[in-house]
Amino acid sequence: MMAVADTSFLIDWARFSLRDLLFRVFDTVWIPEDVLNEVQSERTLTWIADRLASGHMSLFPLLPEYRDRALRLVELSRRGPARGLDFPEAYCIAVAEDRGYVALSENGAAYSAQFLYTTARVWRAYEVLWELRRRGLVPDDVIHVHQEETRHKFPQRDVERWRSYGSSQSASKRQGS
Amino acid sequence: MAEIFAEREREARELRRREADWRYIDSLPPRLRAALIFYIETGDLYVAAKIAGLKADEFNELRIKARIPHVN
Repeated sequence: MMAVADTSFLIDWARFSLRDLLFRVFDTVWIPEDVLNEVQSERTLTWIADRLASGHMSLFPLLPEYRDRALRLVELSRRGPARGLDFPEAYCIAVAEDRGYVALSENGAAYSAQFLYTTARVWRAYEVLWELRRRGLVPDDVIHVHQEETRHKFPQRDVERWRSYGSSQSASKRQGS
Repeated sequence: MAEIFAEREREARELRRREADWRYIDSLPPRLRAALIFYIETGDLYVAAKIAGLKADEFNELRIKARIPHVN
């Protein structure tokens, strides 16, 4: 599975101590060239540079066909009920919908786009953590570690869903044993 | 669907407003203060960073100093 990440996801995820588990979910994480221009901090740049060197990340060029689609997505988003998209995350969505990648974004407008006007899948850190837990790669309390380290808060509804899934899994295990 | 997104945004905005360190925000130069207030109201990091005249991750560090949670 491949992903394309925007700045909001990368700067958030780079603060997380288990950040390299991202590559247990995705074979390659593409970084649009423009995204690199938005990154300045040593921590994020070092992580990206290391992962580009190891081949886990790769640069994605700015292509005219995706640029056009991204602009159309921005326009579309301004007509809908949710907050409008900005160009950088719209570019990731344009790439994701055409190439079947997962768009990684911490932008609320990008997240809601997948329910309103694009076929692309958009994951936040929450969905990545969920997938890591489903594969048994992280403990149940990882969501709290992530929130603490990144000063990121998931909506209450999502936190409750996380808890109830954990409880149902524990119950299934008890029944199985 | 529209109501779900409106509710999500309302919940996020309230959390950002409530947890922000307003004393710190008020002590900042006007440009940074305006950018943080824009972020509190919208959650839009990209535009907020542009208002502040900072790179996105520099603005993210400022957000953390101002104790504003990222909610999504």
